[in-house]
Amino acid sequence: MKFLPLVWRNLARNPLRTALTAGAIGLAIALVCLLLTMPNGLDVLLERAASNTRIVVHNEAGLVYPLPYAYLQKIRSLPGVVGAASWSWYGGVFEIEKGVTFPNFAVEPEPIGTVWADWGIDAKQLEDFRRYRDGAIVGGATLKRQGWKVGDRITLKGTLYPVDLQFRIVAEIPNDRAPFLLFQREYLDQALRAAGRGGLDTLGIVYVRVDDPARVAPVMAQIDTMFKNSEAQTASETEKSYFSSFFSMLSGFVTIILIVTGLVALCIVFIAANTASMSVRERLGEIAVLKALGFKRRLIFTTLVAEAVILSGLGGALGALASLGLTQLLHARASSWNSSLGPLGSFIVTETILVQGLFLALFVGMISGVVPALGAARRSVAETLREVF
Amino acid sequence: MLPLRYALGNLLARRARTALTVSVIALVVVASTLFSGLVSSLKRTFVTSGNPRNLIVMRKGATNDGSSAVPLEAFQALRFFEGVARGPNGQPLASPELVVQPFFHTPGGGRENVLVRGVEPVALAVHDEVKITQGRMLAPSSGEVILGRGVEGRYVGAQLGQTIRFGHGTWKVVGIFEADRSSLESEVWADVRELGDDAKRSVPYSGVRMRVADGADLDALAHRIGDDSRWALEASRETDYYAKQAESANVFYVIAIGLAVLSGIGAAFGATNTLYAAVQSRRAEIGTLRALGFSRLAILVSFLVESLTIALAGFAVGSLVAALLGRLVSWWLGGIAFGSQTFTTNVVQLRVGAVDLAYGLCLSLAIGLLGGLAPASRAARMRPVEALRKA
Amino acid sequence: MIELQDVSRVYHRGADEIHALEHVSLQIGRGRFAALMGPSGSGKSTLLNILAGLDRPTSGSVRVAGVSLNELSEDELAAFRARHVGFVFQFFNLIPVLDACQNVELPLLLTHLRKAERRERAQTALRVVGLAERGAHRPGELSGGEQQRVAIARAIVTDPEIVVADEPTGDLDARNAVEILGLLRDLCREFQKTVVMVTHDPRGEKFVDEIHQLDKGVLRHSAAQREAAAR
Repeated sequence: MKFLPLVWRNLARNPLRTALTAGAIGLAIALVCLLLTMPNGLDVLLERAASNTRIVVHNEAGLVYPLPYAYLQKIRSLPGVVGAASWSWYGGVFEIEKGVTFPNFAVEPEPIGTVWADWGIDAKQLEDFRRYRDGAIVGGATLKRQGWKVGDRITLKGTLYPVDLQFRIVAEIPNDRAPFLLFQREYLDQALRAAGRGGLDTLGIVYVRVDDPARVAPVMAQIDTMFKNSEAQTASETEKSYFSSFFSMLSGFVTIILIVTGLVALCIVFIAANTASMSVRERLGEIAVLKALGFKRRLIFTTLVAEAVILSGLGGALGALASLGLTQLLHARASSWNSSLGPLGSFIVTETILVQGLFLALFVGMISGVVPALGAARRSVAETLREVF
Repeated sequence: MLPLRYALGNLLARRARTALTVSVIALVVVASTLFSGLVSSLKRTFVTSGNPRNLIVMRKGATNDGSSAVPLEAFQALRFFEGVARGPNGQPLASPELVVQPFFHTPGGGRENVLVRGVEPVALAVHDEVKITQGRMLAPSSGEVILGRGVEGRYVGAQLGQTIRFGHGTWKVVGIFEADRSSLESEVWADVRELGDDAKRSVPYSGVRMRVADGADLDALAHRIGDDSRWALEASRETDYYAKQAESANVFYVIAIGLAVLSGIGAAFGATNTLYAAVQSRRAEIGTLRALGFSRLAILVSFLVESLTIALAGFAVGSLVAALLGRLVSWWLGGIAFGSQTFTTNVVQLRVGAVDLAYGLCLSLAIGLLGGLAPASRAARMRPVEALRKA
Repeated sequence: MIELQDVSRVYHRGADEIHALEHVSLQIGRGRFAALMGPSGSGKSTLLNILAGLDRPTSGSVRVAGVSLNELSEDELAAFRARHVGFVFQFFNLIPVLDACQNVELPLLLTHLRKAERRERAQTALRVVGLAERGAHRPGELSGGEQQRVAIARAIVTDPEIVVADEPTGDLDARNAVEILGLLRDLCREFQKTVVMVTHDPRGEKFVDEIHQLDKGVLRHSAAQREAAAR
């Protein structure tokens, strides 16, 4: 608009004040963006990772309670089941001092492509996983963090099981938030037998792929009924529910994060409002002259609010971008996946968060500018001139 | 020096502006103090007094007793190793333990992993920070459990005298224990054999805790355990073990400090703005004071006092709100749950303590000092002639 | 051009009621240079504000450039001023963050003229007041006299029928004051503008066509000066 130069020039009127305000708002928005990455980490996990046709079946007593291996076949034979694979926790460590830094499981290689078609694992790599007994599929997050790539060989030492295993990384889960390492169940079973420890006759959990979302509920009910009176009862739930309950324990923490975020946002309002009121107050005489010249009240109001919005917007944009840089710093520090935060600790600033940060800044600018602008616009010209002169 | 009344009077004159700046600092203090309270509370659960004469024995490579396995023969040999302390009745103070993480159900229908520790009665002697405050210790092979203070009331049936369901059975709650607000208070203790049967464990124990006899060489014993070629075990000091667990909370410190620094600087900028405007509008006044003979230092100090007063006011308001808010949140959420390395729920009582308030005080003083320095020195450097000239 | 009939203005400051104007009737013809004079608090500024459409009378009628101002709303008054009135004040005339040319352009922002046209008009106005080369300078870089000239340029850039000036020479030294007064008189002579000036400055008497004396809100005396002012 043609009034933009006027608004712009007014911001440049007191460059120090403008810079300090924009800086303060920038810092606050950077903080907000950083804080928002935490619950966002959870949301993204639920959205991206959870499919609506996958079911998780585990022992009703707890995740650490095993299920008999025979259950797998029975589940596979149910109508509507496209594929099923079991995951059994191995708990191997790569570097002994750091402990378990990424989850690793023993799985059946054949159903992977079917049950996790949405993961987008390269078909040739899946082929290799099936072919090589010591093959391993590794998630993008772990590959990045450990600096591994497909083709590398690694060794995991057993903690729960008294055998160490060597792997060849043959496949990648192309998702930079996926931390898993999956290997062939047979491999662990054989290693245990070789060490004289019997074999692997139980499984941890079963992932089931159903052909149609509408069938999910009936299949779950069937599975649980099937094993109701057996030695180990099952509890089936959708993948989404499984993940969210896993991290429902973090809800209290997330609440605190959101409270703090709200407080910071409120801070921004006050900072911006302070600046707006100061700069308007200094210009009352000028504003009166503009009104005398014929500038209508609404116009005066709009330009004053625009000033506040542009200032906040600028600060917000800078802050949002700064948060990107800050997360790099955090990634260097926060190493392990199973630090107490889980997915909350991913600290990835998504485009959504950047936009949210910017919009918050703009919105705050608008609110903070309204009261001083209204006051200035409403003032009677004659009265102002009387007071000022 | 300029009288205090001058600085304070000026603050009261510009009420709205002062109030806004105070609010900004107050909010920063609330946010930082609250978060610091959370981190302190969390830290408290990790760091127990632990016993410097205790060893924790786990499988080599296991970093917590939830992912380790120790065979029966190993325990039977270990307890008679030289250097292991003995109880009053000559029994070795070696506590075999099994850690399992079953689901517990909250009254609201939620589901959480809880750490259940299978123990034998000797555990009480080894974990001497554990004190039974209500009821009694569980009796072996009786289907009984005792609950840590953090567990009490959190789950269905988690009350003294009631029965609680987990794993494949029901268990009778016969006692409640406290443990110095450590993570042990988020545990449930059961009989190690019964727990092992219920969880169908082939290896009966996940770890062993033992007390080293007075006068015995702790490190030598630890080495002997680690070097024993029969089993791949590793023994470390209990205090070291807990310290390492506490490291997982490091990311919280980073967040807390980042929060304080970023919001602190932002608030300082806000204070600077306000003070600059004050200096500008009081130019003539300052010029007059200087002309009258007040030194530059006097002016500087006066403005800094203004700045610090705003900061302290912000701290006063902020700390009050933080204490109240902390209590409110704690009551509403009933303890913040964290996932620990064992994937179990570690319940933390949010408490804004003296240390957190001190942290908030330092933060607000820093804001006041940093924010006020530049404008105060500008005021001090003003030359009387310039200041008195019409703007 | 300007007709005030029985205009009174009462306003409230706190609990007090102040009678700024009492039953003032006044007429100023087109192309005349009129001065409103009187001691401090006599109501001359109030009178100026009312005839410029900046303030409303408590009672009485105001008719300017053929328009009855009484019935206009705030927004309509603003539009009226933009079209028909130019303003010169004693202080705060110019926006310090804009250069001279941009300051002069300000009233044009309220019209539908394009940027190039606005620019051209502003330059023309600056030429009239003799500051064509100083367009890019900020008010901070101009002397008091130059600032007032820029203000006058701004006052005429929309070609209004009326120019009102409230103590235009109040802050200036002798030489600049005389220049400004001369400039204002030229606006009448050359451009047929009606100029109404509030002033304390006795020098103004030599330049104006008529003087209206006010005292305590009452119009005491109106006199026409001689046609040609003695220099």
